[in-house]
Amino acid sequence: MVSEEPTDVGANLEGEAPDVERSVETDEATYTDDSELERTIGLTGGLAIGVGTMIGAGIFVFPGLAAGRAGPAAAGSFALGGVVALLVALPASELATAMPKSGGGYYFISRGLGTLAGAVVGLSLWFGLVFAAAFYLVGFGFYAVDTLAELGIVLGPELVIPIALVFGVGFTLLNVTGTENAAKLQNGVVALLLSILAVVLLWGTLDALGLIGRPSTPERFMPFGPFPVLTTAALVFTSYLGFAQVATVAGEMKRPGRNLPLAMVGSVLVVTVLYVTTIFVATSAFGSERLASLGETAMVDVGRHYLGSAGALAIVFGGLLATMSSANASILSTSRAIYAVSKDALLPRWACRINLKYGTPHVALGMAGGPILVLVATGRVEVLAEVASFLHLVLYGLICVALVVLRRDEPEWYDPDFRTPGYPVVPALGAVASFALIGFMQTASQVIGLGLMLAAAGWYFYYARDVNLRGAL
Amino acid sequence: MSRVLVPVAVLENEAVPLGLMNLLGTMDVTVLGYHVLPEQTPPDQARLQYEERANAALADIAEEFRDAGGSADYRLVFTADRQKTVDRVADEVGARAYAISGATGAVDRILVSLSGDVAADRILAFVTELVGDRAIDVTLLRVAGDDGAVSMEAAAERLDAAGIAATTRIAEGAAPLEALLDAVPDHDAIVMGEQAPSLQSFLFGEVTERVAAESVGPVLVVRRPRSKPESESE
Repeated sequence: MVSEEPTDVGANLEGEAPDVERSVETDEATYTDDSELERTIGLTGGLAIGVGTMIGAGIFVFPGLAAGRAGPAAAGSFALGGVVALLVALPASELATAMPKSGGGYYFISRGLGTLAGAVVGLSLWFGLVFAAAFYLVGFGFYAVDTLAELGIVLGPELVIPIALVFGVGFTLLNVTGTENAAKLQNGVVALLLSILAVVLLWGTLDALGLIGRPSTPERFMPFGPFPVLTTAALVFTSYLGFAQVATVAGEMKRPGRNLPLAMVGSVLVVTVLYVTTIFVATSAFGSERLASLGETAMVDVGRHYLGSAGALAIVFGGLLATMSSANASILSTSRAIYAVSKDALLPRWACRINLKYGTPHVALGMAGGPILVLVATGRVEVLAEVASFLHLVLYGLICVALVVLRRDEPEWYDPDFRTPGYPVVPALGAVASFALIGFMQTASQVIGLGLMLAAAGWYFYYARDVNLRGAL
Repeated sequence: MSRVLVPVAVLENEAVPLGLMNLLGTMDVTVLGYHVLPEQTPPDQARLQYEERANAALADIAEEFRDAGGSADYRLVFTADRQKTVDRVADEVGARAYAISGATGAVDRILVSLSGDVAADRILAFVTELVGDRAIDVTLLRVAGDDGAVSMEAAAERLDAAGIAATTRIAEGAAPLEALLDAVPDHDAIVMGEQAPSLQSFLFGEVTERVAAESVGPVLVVRRPRSKPESESE
């Protein structure tokens, strides 16, 4: 793909212009006028980013909360979330193959819909990822306390937040200084996690279906009616935030035309199956009322129910790995989100500086880590999750809109390798569903989310109103 | 002229020794300036900040190569995987060999390893072109009991015919890597073939990298023939 000569892109308050380079993309590298950028992430790496980001919350934090709200139909809430995620993953895949550059969803929207939409989404994504990372860290705190309890060291729940804070600082520092094999480690964590889950879930499924063990008493599927199924879907949608993170490494992915769609759609399918199975197994073990009373770490008791203390230990260990991998992936994505808007002059250029010693973006990582710690300190799991979902859902909805806008009047440069099947129904449904899920959230989350978006828009009008990004490739 | 790729960690102030520049005076050279980034940093982010500085340094290095007699151009790559970058760029510019820089003065004697599963024919052709009509002596080395596709006598004769003073050395009772390193002290540079990927290279790293690390001097790695465009699984 060869970009056209960029039009006038304007400049921000400090006179910095967006960095827009002509480039040629191939399967193995991106060629700009004066240098080349190697593509080094394969399909496995892409899947690990998608699955690793998503899997933490869905399985290990939500089963208790979700079952308390929707009963056994919580499995339906997760399935619904998976369908919405898929409806967005397909359009996102098309846009990513048309613009295989770092920046992800923000990049598509700023180029397809213009600077205002781009700025709101780009800056909101920074906040959205900060909320998500804080949520994962609190989840990690719960699992850390439970792991210690399984090992015989009993600490009170008041230590959850301090542990989350310590690890929040730790992950941020690790990302600034740790340069060895971070991605390989992530791949290993995800593989180990999937193996643990496969064993526990397979056993649980056989048991729940009455093939082994004693039959469990059936329960009404939707004890609270259909409406809570929808509100629960809005809550647990946080479990699916992550597939679009694959698009943020689009510039580094080998064979982007093939690997981006496979990694995004593939990771959504993998985690949907895992989530639905998990909820089915969990509600079969205990019944939703008991499950709800067990809270954030209900899955530990599910593991114990089926496989004794080995099962409990496997689950707490898995929970540690999963929340850790999600938190870490979110911190990394935050720094990439900041880089993307800073490169386009929507934030000062110094925000994306990297240091030569470690080669890491220390400023952006700090801008991720600081706010995350503040939010962790609040300890409000549900609000953190919902605000994160809110801001991501706006992004997802606008990705679908951007696809429709670009397709209706296809610019010359628009040449995706992957075209969304079922156009225009799929992106239209994706947009409607994304925006609709927002409507089912708690008022507090909606107010915070809307406030953050307005603040982002205000920043744009103050700082970067002369920047023009539409079609600036 | 054949082309040799010279990778340089350009932002870490890696220097190419004058001895290597002079040795490569008979070849076309592409200086590959690279900067390795950890996975948490998009290569594009480094480009934004360091492109200008890196290209200025590379232009200087290419100029020095031209002063030493060869023809040279340069490319700049930001990457998370050094070896992949070297392989890709070597393919793209059609490089016969790539260099692993090391400290050296004037090169009077080079050690050529023919042990193991290497394309001896390509190595000999490369050495012939590299030495040209200069007074550089060549030692051909192979471990005992390793009968390659080309006999040592035939190899030495071939170099002699091209006017190159070649001696042969058969190392007794040593593994190829140890034999090579034992022979290093009398020599100023090493030429060896690229090995096929194996379990050993997966576990301990590329043999060529290990030789370069332990021998101090520069190593020229003659690439294996590329039969067809690589069909990668990923």
